[in-house]
Amino acid sequence: MRDLHQCLSEGVPVLGDSHVSLTELAFFALAVIAVATGLLALLVRELVHTILWIGIFFVDLSAIYFLLEAPFLGVLQLGVYAGAVTILLLFGIMVTRKRIFSRDAATGVGALPIALAVVTFVFLIGALGQLPGAAVPAASYSVASLSTLLFNAEAPYLLLLGLVMLSALAGAIYLVREGRE
Amino acid sequence: MTTLPVGDFLALASGLVAISIFGILTRRNFILLLIALEIGMNAAILSFVYFAAFPQCVTAATCHPLTGQAIAVVVIGLAATEVAVGLAIVLALHRIRGTTNVAEANSLHL
Repeated sequence: MRDLHQCLSEGVPVLGDSHVSLTELAFFALAVIAVATGLLALLVRELVHTILWIGIFFVDLSAIYFLLEAPFLGVLQLGVYAGAVTILLLFGIMVTRKRIFSRDAATGVGALPIALAVVTFVFLIGALGQLPGAAVPAASYSVASLSTLLFNAEAPYLLLLGLVMLSALAGAIYLVREGRE
Repeated sequence: MTTLPVGDFLALASGLVAISIFGILTRRNFILLLIALEIGMNAAILSFVYFAAFPQCVTAATCHPLTGQAIAVVVIGLAATEVAVGLAIVLALHRIRGTTNVAEANSLHL
């Protein structure tokens, strides 16, 4: 029986001498869940089940951000995606359907979309998988330094985001306004 | 010190982009289309967060190590905005055509 401390420092032994760290094991598990829930969200017939799967997908990605030592982004993902976007999509379904639990008409899955998706995957892996190195998540970059960067006057990230959101708000109101034919 | 190899993350991000493209090409419901777009956006955000922790970036003098995370914050905000505008289009389409099927949205003149 291996000591937990030893496991944490050296990783878990797999296939003889090679070791896989617990962080990597956690990442593999989270990655499998992400791909599975992403696919299920697009393949199930009931739209409400789609919302449930996409909610799990967003929570799963936020766990990956915590794994990468980006806690602020993890919390932001939970709040904005798992919270706001999921509820907004559910609201959209509730408004546009007579019966909420009604199945979509079956749409045939042709060979062309699958082929295009596979080609994209192979192309991206072939082009980008050659990059050398590995990320070393470090907790030394605090939320305070991230906020210093975000509210910096020289690179006004949040100012630009606010302007985009304001124009999007005006556009959304224009789209759903009353009094059009 | 724990390290996360670049291949694993790019495999996950590429897989999510492939799922997103598959969903955009096959689904006909506007809301499912928005969800497929969100999956693709999340792949991009994941890549930004991953490369923010990349040592080649952290040690470079011209690159702030948190730039990737800052851009990820902006992209998350943009994605939320996109869903809001998308749902406004869904509601307008539903009121005028009585459907959320994108195949029936064949005119820009609402």
